[in-house]
Parts: sequence; C-alpha cells; structure tokens
Amino acid sequence: MASESTTARDQDAVPDGPAEAGPSARGPRSRSTSGYLRYVAGKLAGAAVSLFAVLVTSFFLFRLIPGDPVKAMTGGRQVSSEQIRAMREEFGLDLPMWQQFTDYCGKALTGDLGTSYQFKAPVVDKISEALPATLLLTGTAFVLYTLIGIWLGSRSAWRHGRFGDRFNTAFALTLYSVPSFWLGLLLIIVLSVGIGPIPGMFPTGGMESGGESGFGYVIDVAHHLILPVITLVAVEYARTLLVMRSSLLDEMGSDYLTTARAKGLRDDEVRTKHAVPNALLPTVTLLFVNLGNTVAGAILVETVFSWPGLGGLFYQALSVPDLPLVQGLFFVFAAAVILMNTLADLIYPLLDPRVGR
Amino acid sequence: MKTDRTKPSAEAPAGETAKSAATSARSVAWARRRRAAAQFWRQYRGHRSGLAGLVILVLIAVLALAAPLITGSDAQSVTDAPGTPLEEPSGEFPLGTDQFGRNLLALLLWGARVSLTVGLLAAFLTVAIGTLVGITAGHFGGWYSTVIMRITDWFLVMPTLVLAIALATVMDKSIWTTVIAIGVTAWPTTARLVRAQTLAVESRPYIERATALGGGHRHIMGRHVLPNVMPLVLAQTTLVISQAILTEATLAFLGLGDPMIVSWGGLLQDAREAGAVSSGAWWYLAPPGLAIAVVALAFTLCGRTIESVLNPKLGVTR
Amino acid sequence: MDKRDLHARPVRARRRLRLLLASGAAAFTLTAGLATPLNPAPQQAQAKDDKSTLTVAVAQSVDSLSPFVAQRLISTSVHRLMYDFLTNYDAETGKAIPGLATEWKTSKDKLTWTYKIRDNSKWSDGKQATAEDAAWTYNQLMTKEGSALQNANFVANFKKVTAPSPTELVVELKKPQATMTALDIPIVPKHLWEKEGDLAKFNNDKKFPIVGNGPFVVTDYKVDSYVKLKANKDFWRGAPKFDELVFRYYKDQDAAVAALRKGEVSFVAGSPSLTPAQAASLKKTDDIKVNDAPGRRFFAIAVNPGARTQDGEKFGDGHPSLHDQKVRQALFTSVDRKTIIDKVFQGYAEEGAGYIPPRFKDYFWKPGADQEMSYDPKKAAQLLDDAGYKKNGDGKRVGKDGKPLEYRMLCHATDPNDKAIGKYLKEWWGDLGIGLKVDCMDNVTDPWYAGEYDLAFDGWSVNPDPDFVLGIHTCAALPAKPKETASTDNFICDKKFDDLYQQQLAEYDPAKRADIVKEMQSQLYDSGYMNVMAYPNAVEAYRTDQIKSITTMPKSAGNIYGQDGYWSWWSAVPADGSESSGDSGGSSTGVVVGIVVAAVVLAGGGFLIARRRRSTAEERE
Repeated sequence: MASESTTARDQDAVPDGPAEAGPSARGPRSRSTSGYLRYVAGKLAGAAVSLFAVLVTSFFLFRLIPGDPVKAMTGGRQVSSEQIRAMREEFGLDLPMWQQFTDYCGKALTGDLGTSYQFKAPVVDKISEALPATLLLTGTAFVLYTLIGIWLGSRSAWRHGRFGDRFNTAFALTLYSVPSFWLGLLLIIVLSVGIGPIPGMFPTGGMESGGESGFGYVIDVAHHLILPVITLVAVEYARTLLVMRSSLLDEMGSDYLTTARAKGLRDDEVRTKHAVPNALLPTVTLLFVNLGNTVAGAILVETVFSWPGLGGLFYQALSVPDLPLVQGLFFVFAAAVILMNTLADLIYPLLDPRVGR
Repeated sequence: MKTDRTKPSAEAPAGETAKSAATSARSVAWARRRRAAAQFWRQYRGHRSGLAGLVILVLIAVLALAAPLITGSDAQSVTDAPGTPLEEPSGEFPLGTDQFGRNLLALLLWGARVSLTVGLLAAFLTVAIGTLVGITAGHFGGWYSTVIMRITDWFLVMPTLVLAIALATVMDKSIWTTVIAIGVTAWPTTARLVRAQTLAVESRPYIERATALGGGHRHIMGRHVLPNVMPLVLAQTTLVISQAILTEATLAFLGLGDPMIVSWGGLLQDAREAGAVSSGAWWYLAPPGLAIAVVALAFTLCGRTIESVLNPKLGVTR
Repeated sequence: MDKRDLHARPVRARRRLRLLLASGAAAFTLTAGLATPLNPAPQQAQAKDDKSTLTVAVAQSVDSLSPFVAQRLISTSVHRLMYDFLTNYDAETGKAIPGLATEWKTSKDKLTWTYKIRDNSKWSDGKQATAEDAAWTYNQLMTKEGSALQNANFVANFKKVTAPSPTELVVELKKPQATMTALDIPIVPKHLWEKEGDLAKFNNDKKFPIVGNGPFVVTDYKVDSYVKLKANKDFWRGAPKFDELVFRYYKDQDAAVAALRKGEVSFVAGSPSLTPAQAASLKKTDDIKVNDAPGRRFFAIAVNPGARTQDGEKFGDGHPSLHDQKVRQALFTSVDRKTIIDKVFQGYAEEGAGYIPPRFKDYFWKPGADQEMSYDPKKAAQLLDDAGYKKNGDGKRVGKDGKPLEYRMLCHATDPNDKAIGKYLKEWWGDLGIGLKVDCMDNVTDPWYAGEYDLAFDGWSVNPDPDFVLGIHTCAALPAKPKETASTDNFICDKKFDDLYQQQLAEYDPAKRADIVKEMQSQLYDSGYMNVMAYPNAVEAYRTDQIKSITTMPKSAGNIYGQDGYWSWWSAVPADGSESSGDSGGSSTGVVVGIVVAAVVLAGGGFLIARRRRSTAEERE
C-alpha cells in the first residue's frame, strides 16, 4: 500500500508519461547483504528481459515502415534487377523473417547492430559518433535542471502557500506547458538573430564553429551549448521541482522535525539538515528516470538547434527509412531508460536509511 | 493513503440510506452522486488556479466551437485568401496573414478545433486503455495481473516520444494516426494508478459482501470498482489531455501530422517551412505556441486541482 | 536506527548541494560571460591566421566522402571539388570542356572513345594523376561488385576501359552513347584506393587531408557538422582565391538564414531554395545579395497511366478514368499555373511548359498556342461532360459506374511546395466536381513503385545532358516484376517515344539531337501524363562583405550552389577587408551586450544570495 501510494504521488505530481517509469518495488524486504544481492540479481535479470523485449519490438515494429530498403540503399539510382538481388543478399533481406531476426539478435549480442543503409557504415559507429554530443547536451541540462528543481522545490515547499511558492510553481508549470521546439525557435529569434535593440549573441545552431582547438574549442562549444541547454532546462525543471516540493511537504509533517525544532534548531537548519535530505530520497529515483528520458526528449531541441546528436540522426534515419539505424537508435533510447531505472532501483535501498542495511 | 480519502465520498451515504428507506436504491445512488458532485464543486471552487484553468478552457472551447460563426467557413481556403502573403498584424488581420494570405486569427481559431479534438480523443483513448488494463489487472490478480503489469512496465520504459514518432511514421498521415500514436504510447501511467486504486477498493468489506451475494466479475468491476476509480480517472484524463496536446503539436511540427488540416502544431510547422523564424514573422510563430502553452497549462491546472480536491494531502497546490 | 546517525549525512549532503548549485551557476555564468565576447569566432580566427574562409551553410549533411558510396547533392558537390573529372561544363554555355582530359575523339563506328589525359594534374601527395587512375576507377564500377556502387550507371554501356599510356585513356562501348563527354565520375587516386578492400564499405573519412587533385583538398570532416577544405594551390586551372572553404550543416534552413544574417556563414545554399519570405527579408538586409537563379528542376504532376511491367503485366490501382486523355486534359486546363507562380512561389519560379527547364536553352521546348493546355475552367468542365463524367445533384462528377470521381495524390511531406500546391489543386478540382485526397508522406516511393496512386507530385533536377530524365520514361525503364524498384519515373511506355529516345542517344550532332529531344517533349506534353507546373528558381544568398564576386552558372543568371562544375567556389573572391570583419560593428555590440548580460546575471545571483542571507538573519533574530 505504502509503496503504491508513493508511486502514485510521483506520477501525479507531474502529468507526463515517461517520468513515472519509476521503480515499482521500493527496495528489498530483507535487510541482509545477501538479501540485497538477491535483489540486485532480480533487478538485473528484469533489466535484461526488458532489453531483450526492446530488441524484439524494435526489430518488428520497424519492419512495418513502408519503404523498400533496396530503394533506400540505391537512393533512386538506376539499378538492374541483378544488382537489387545482390544487395538483398548482402543485407540478408532475401532470408525469411525469423532468420533475419535470429541473425539480428545473434549479432546484437556481439555488439553488432548491422550496417546503415544510407551511410554504409556500422550502426554502432554512427551511434557512437553522435552519442557524445547528445550526452554533453543532456548531461549539462540534467545537472542544471536537477539543481534548480531541487533548490526551488525545497524552498517552495518550506514556504508553501506563500507568494514565492505560488509564483515558483506557476512559473515552472507554465514553462512546462510550453512546447520545447517553440521555445527554442523563439530563443533563436530573440537571442541568436536578434530583435530590435537586442543583437544576436549566440550561434544559431550546431555544436562548434570549426577550426578552434584547446581552450578556444571548449569556449566555442560552450557558447553553442547555451541556448539548447536553456531550452531543455526550462521545459524540464518543473518535474524535479514538483516532486521535490511534494516529497518535502510529506516530510514536513513528520515527528522528527518537531523534535528537531524542540531541540532549539533554527528553522533554516531544520530545513537544510533534516527535512531536505530525507525528501531528496524519492527525488533521486526520479532523477535517474529523467536522465534516461531526456536523452530521447532532446530529439526536438537537437532538431531546432542543428545539434549533431542522436535525435537528429534518428530523424534522418526515419525518413529514408534506414532500418538498421532506426532499430539501433530505438534500442539505445529505450536502453537508456531501462538502464537508468535499474540504476535507480539498485541505488535506492542504499540511500534510504529506512530500507537500507 | 489515497484510498482513505476517497472513502468518505463513497461510503458516507451509507448511514443515510436507512432514513429514506422508501426511496429506491437507484435514486439513493443518484442523490449520493449529486451530493458528492456538489461537494466536489464546492471544494474545487476554493482553488484559484483550478478556477482560472477552467475559465480559460471554457473560453477557448466556446471560441473554437464558434469559429465558423466568427470567421466564416472559408477561412481555410487558399484560393479565396483575403490578404497578401505574410502581412504584419493590422486592423483587418489582427494577427497578420500566413504565406497564402489567409487570416491567421481565423486559422488559430480553426486550429483550436483540431488541436482540442485530437487532445481530447487521444486522452480518452489513453485513459480508456489504461482504465481497462488497470481494473482488470487489479481485479483478477494472479498470473494475469503479473503478465499485464509486466507489459505495462515494459511500455513505461519505451521512450514515449520516440515510439509515437515511429508509429506516426508507420501509419498514414491523418489525425487518427496522431490520436492512436498518442493513445497507444501514453496509457501505462493510468493503468498503474487505476490498478492501485482497484486493489484498494476491492479490499473493502462491501466488495466481499457483493461477491458473497453472487456478484460476477463484471458486476464487481462495473458497479463497484469503476465508480470508485472514476474520480481518479477524471483527474488523470485532464492531465493526460495537456500532454496529448503537446504531443500532437510535436508530431505536427516534425511533419508527421496531416498537412491538409490546420492545427496549432501544423501552423508552427507551416511557419517554420515558410521561413518565419529568419524573416522575423513573429506574428506567425508566437500565437500558435502560446495557444498550445495556455491550453496545456489550463488542463494541468484543472487536473492538479481535481487531484488535490480528491486527495487533500496533495492539495497544497494552491 | 539512530536518528542522529541519520542526520549526520545530510549536513554534508546539503553543503555539497549548495556547492554544486554555486559551481553550476558559476560555470554557466562564466561560459555565458566568456563565450559571448568571443563571438563571432570564425571571423576572429580569420583575423588571427590572416586567411580567408568561405563558409557555406547547407541543409544536407554529408553521407559519405567516398564517391562510390555518396548519394547526396552535398557530397557530390564536395567530390567535384576534391577530384577532377574527365570533362567539365563551361560556365557560360554548359558545353563540355576539358577537365582531366584535354581532348577526346571517337572512332568511325562511334564505339571507341579516346581521351588524352593532361600531364599537369598532380595528386595532393605529389604523385602524378594519370590515365591509369581513370581506367582503374572506371573498371571498379564495371565489375560485378562495382555495379552496386554509385555512378555505376554511367559505365553500364562500357565494354572495356584501358590506359595504353599515362596520358591516354581508351573506352570501348557496346552501343553508341552521346553522353561520353558528360561522365560525371570523380576519378580517385589508384595508388591509395587499391589498398582499400571493399569499396562499398569504404567511406574515405579516416585519413586527413584526403588526397585529391581538384581545386580544393578536404582537411577535416565532422559528421553532421562540417566539411573543411583548403585551397589546392597547385591546381592546374589556377589556385582558388579563398584559402579555406567550409560546408557547415544546418538541420534547419531558417537557422542557416539567421546565421547568414549574423555573418556566421558567407553563403546559404538554395537547396532547398530559400522561401519567398526569407528572400524578401534578406533583400532588405545590408551586405546581403539574394541570387535568384533560374532553376534546373521541373515541378510536375505525374498521372498514373496504369502501372505495368516490361512484359506488360498490369499491377497497382491507378484510377481507370485517368486513362481517358480528355479527363487528364480537363484536370490540367483547370490548373492556374500563373496563380501557382504568383502565390506559392511568389514569383521565384518560371511558369511550366515543356519538360526541360528553359535554362537549358538548347533543349528547351514549349507548346504552341493551339497545343497548350491553358487555364480555362469552362473548357475543363466541357471536356469532362464530353468524356461522360457529368455532375450529380451534389455537384460531384460521376463516372459510368455511378461512383463520384475521387483521386489520391502522392505528396512529399518534406516539400512545402507539394503541400501548398496540393491545397490549391484540392480547391480548383473541387470546383470542377472532382474530389482530391492529398497523401503526404516522408517516403512516397513505396506506393509509387507499387503503382498505388492516381496522381503524384514529381520533379527531377535536370543535367546539362538530358539523357537521364528522358530515359526514365522509356519502356526499358519499367520494372521487371510488379512493384519492383525500377528506374521508371511514372510507368510511361510508348513505342514512338522509345524510338526517338534511341535516335537521340546515337545522334552525335548536337543540333539534330536537340531537335529530337524537343519532339519527345512535345509528345510527352500531349499525352497529359507529365504536366510541368513550374520551374522553381534556385534562390540563394550570400554576404557581399565576405564574398566580393562569385561565378554563377550560367554566368549571366545562374545558380551558385550545386553547379555542374566547380566554378562558384573556385572563382569566389574574398571581399576587401573581410579578414578583419571580426571587428565590425555588429560583433562589438555583441561583446558589449555579452558583458552586460554576464554582469546582470552576476548581479542577479549576488542579489539572490544577499537576500537569502538577509532572510536567514531575520529568522535568527
């Protein structure tokens, strides 16, 4: 019961699907080390099953996409039917579906996700080329919106009902309701292109100007990073804020806070030393889940800012359609979420003193 | 926790039934529901943000419904477009014109119809799937529940946007595609909430009584569980709508909507394709985005208020 | 568990939290403050190294740097700069002129071509470029494995290619081929490429600089970001004027235009063409020139004539009413091409007529007054009445089977013009009593090859040599099996057209060949299966404070990006003082504003912290 209601509240706090992919069970019942190990094993097995399920889905879901792979490979050139046959053979498209599937799974186990039709390069290579850019963008945004969300959320809860709280919550909810791509476009108009007296201060897109090295390169990338990060942070921080706020509100009724106050601690101390750390625990799980989702959620921001990451690659791959690449990317997006959920599951009992050893 | 809060509204009338023994069970049930609704409304009224959201929604709904009366039915025609391409806002065109010379204010009103319809339909589909899965999983339990909840968990980890994009690519471009793409990807949250609530409801003694009296699965789920999860489902629907409207805009913006139909996301996509960003046509770009944000916010506010009325422990949103 | 124990950790956690917050904010402010004054970085780099850079914004990313693999226009444009071709096209006339080959002759039987290879072209690693390299490149394409490579279509008719000496290349043909001076195949250095195993999987992007013999040498490449080239000072035709050329990828054309406005890039490619709104606003901007060039594309509506295979087996489900020429003519006499030009293209296009765009003067054809299907809704209605499709009570045209006429039209979701014109067609044909459902998809090829469409938006970029765009309407291009990928454009198969096609291919006299090509266009026009609506212009723009002059193709009024030669980038001259454009007014304002923003952020942060302190102090009291 208790665990269910915690989950439910997490979900209610912010009306968005992915965020609720929180761990279903809140830690092991047993407090012994072997209990924890058994718990870890269970979670890892669950993750493995999920990953496999994703692999299956990505394989079959994208077989439904209309579009002849051979057509994608030849790019509309004149090709003879022998050439087409040769290509089908090369990519294993002449085999029956189940055999294509077992081949795919077998190769996936060895880290081979096939060869991109349009780039004629291994899918794994294309993904690892684009991954750093996405990690940089989402990682930076993640750190910032987590910090901002926790900070504002705890302040809000501590003085709930006052103007500051209402303003904070309303502001966060408003930004949360804004389509991220639209916010990005507006930021480009105002801060990149410049409107009226405001000159364009930031690059309009891309990750680097090219030709910089060393410190200059770092600064250049940072300069390109600012607007996309602002966009992501603006639309994402509400989630953390609201969860932090509601879990702190939960804590605030607790007896130990009254005890702490009775000991003569100042209000500020009670908040920062006692209430916030405990309220952080439910938030931690959410953070991991957020990180996994932000990777996929960055697709739009990457498109608007021409960021050379996974999102842009996914969109390019879909329109061809470049099946191996689409499958590979889908797998990576889903795997990110699964991985983060599992991590959250594993870390939670270590953090929560009530559940911990 | 949640279950305790909903209990009063469900069981409060139990004592009163004796008083009016003459009235039939049905009218008692109706009176009870009316009272519950009235009480709900009294509490809802107390939340300013919720009221604001509701007012905004009603206003927008009225404008959307009256669009043909306000703008005339040929506002979307390109051959009879009244203006020249991309005119700045003026007395004649308060929000300027698009690249075909059509009145953008009129398009915004017409777009509201599509965006709201898609948002509502998608949310209903989402919640319908979620409720069905949730109630049956909660009610039947056992291996059925295990399997179903595994599937639900598995859908939960699927990146929603990626899955929706993939689905929208696979299917024809139409508003139904958008509805289905959102509905099929967004239901797991609701399913889990509803299942939890179902478990709580079914643990109450009167369900046991109903079962003992020979109530079938259908009866239990339809007559007892469903009415009790409805308030939760309502709150959830409101929240899902705002998410659905955002997703609709996203899909349309990525060029996955029906380009022959005017929606808010579609307007943004048109604006971008016409080069509104770099040519500084802010009047083309700003209003649809604002409209999406306002409606999404209004639904969120309503949803949060409903939620906090049903569960005062969370009701610190004021 | 002990409560105190529980709370010992939080103190540290809290400090860490605050520290993190502070450092995060500091880092962000620092980045904003530091990075902004450095804007715009590229020009500063120019000033520093005293070299001129031409940055081109493109809407496509490079798919491969290997000419055997790459398919996209951006990639083939880069290959044009990296590697010399046998021949080039004159910037003015578009006629074949010497490239790697200095002269060529053909044997009496028209089956053997001999090219003389120049002796002053060197690979950038110092080795001489020879006929041997050309022969090796062509032979790769001619082998069984090579046939799956890009450009293999050029050599399909080759029997044998040899290099008897370093300066002589001999090509033997199976059949006469008029396009032998239009072999757009980049010739790669054999001594390096023969070491690479499978050419189908080699992307040529591991070792930089990439050895080539074109006017530029690729020095750097970052996937989805940019390709950087430096001038080849030893290029036989003369060194390019710019020291460096960068193609930078923008996913969003609008972002590219914004970058041009700011001076981040010197040029925005017109592929896709700038929108009328973008062009109009850029025209009003100082130091920017909009180049409105007649395009090389035609924008057409194709009608499904009934899909079939080479053996005549029918498939697909094209609407049978469209087999009636009167119906097709009715459809297209109710299309107002002028409105399309005025409203959709807003003047940035030519009104459509024949199949080949007017910029190819030699081959351009347009219908005479009596032949032309000009806009006339009344005549269209009459034609439909005559064909037996009368209006019913609801104003819908009804066929003999009693069903109202309703067509499906394939549309490219990525092309705004398709969608826009679709809206007009829907209304025009709606007035005529015909329903239209526009199916916009990312990938139209599937229903297209399956023949499951009635009408479709169609368009090809036409080469100086029209062979390819004519070949796609011959019976030989039809698929061998139903729904199979084939080179046919629209399942058109007409004996007379095919005969003319063979004639022009074997005709080595340019004037006579042009006459045949015109006759073919006339025939295509009358059939009503291909209806050219417009020739969209290639609208592109560049900064005149960075580029002083640049050659268009054709020189008088032509395009810059996507030329058939390397003229534009090879000829572009840097504007005076463009090296010092980093000091221009715009960016110094940027510096000032950047500093102000940083100051405001710092001050705001300071204020917040101060306020916090104060409130804590108040509570203490």
